[in-house]
Amino acid sequence: MFVRIGDLDRMFGTMGLFRDRLGTVFEDFDRSFGSAYDWTATGTFPRTNLYDKGDHFELTAELPGIAKADVHVKIQGNYLEISGTKKVHVPEGYSVHRTERGDSTFTRSLTLPADVDSAKVSASIKDGLLVLTMPKSEAAKPRQISIG
Amino acid sequence: MDGKNIVKKDAGSVEATRSIRKAVPLVDIYENDDEILLHAEMPGVRKDDIMVNIDNGRLTLSGTRLLGKQGAAEWEEFGDVEYQRAFSVPQTIDIEKVKAELKDGMLALHLPKSEAAKPRMVEITAG
Repeated sequence: MFVRIGDLDRMFGTMGLFRDRLGTVFEDFDRSFGSAYDWTATGTFPRTNLYDKGDHFELTAELPGIAKADVHVKIQGNYLEISGTKKVHVPEGYSVHRTERGDSTFTRSLTLPADVDSAKVSASIKDGLLVLTMPKSEAAKPRQISIG
Repeated sequence: MDGKNIVKKDAGSVEATRSIRKAVPLVDIYENDDEILLHAEMPGVRKDDIMVNIDNGRLTLSGTRLLGKQGAAEWEEFGDVEYQRAFSVPQTIDIEKVKAELKDGMLALHLPKSEAAKPRMVEITAG
C-alpha cells in the first residue's frame, strides 16, 4: 500500500479535531461543577514549561490574574517550589452572575534536571505568565572539552 | 456500494493546515446598574491578539497565544492556544461605549447599558 503524506496529514488533522472536541466537552463538564468540586488534578496548577537553554533553564508558568506580590518562588539546588494565592475581588457594588475563577491557594514543587545557582535566578511576570530564568550551577553547565 | 468509494479523495492536495488547540477561558460575570462586567482569564495573550466582537446580541471573545520556538523543552504542559468563548448579551448594551482592558493575563470587558435600559427612580408627585 502506498500512503501519501497528504493522507497521513489529513488523518492526524482529523484526530486533532476529535481531541479538541472531546477536550471542550471535558472542560464544559468540569466547569459545570464549579471550582468547589474541582475534578481536575489540583497538583498541576499552575501549568509550567521548562526549557533548557544551555547555560540556564527557563521556566514559564501560567498565572492569570495573579498579582506579583501573591506569588512566592523558592529554590534550593534542583528543587523549585512555586506557591501563592489567587484572590478574586468582586468589584464594589456589583452583583455576581457567574464565577468560574474562584479563590485558591496553590503550591507546586518541581525537580529540575540539574542544580541551579539560586542567587542568580531572576523572575518576572508579564501578561499572566511567570518567567523564571535560572542559571545552571557551575558543575552542571555544559563544557567544551578539548581533545589533547 | 464498495467501501472504497464512500470517502472521496481529493488527490494532490497537500494541505498543511495546523490548527492550534482551542480552549475555553474561565470567566466571571458581574453586573451593576450601569454595566455588565466580564473578567476572562487569558494568560500569555498579548493585547493585540485579542478580538472582541459584538454582533446582533452575540458577543464572541477570542485570544490567541503563540509562544513560538523556545528551545529544548524538558517538559511542556502548555503551548499555543486560542481562547474562544461566546455569550449572548442583551440588546440594551451600548456597543459604542464598550471598553476592554488587559492586566496580568486577565481581560476585563465593560459592557455599559444604554440609557434607556438603566433602572430609573420614579418620583411621585403629590396631587
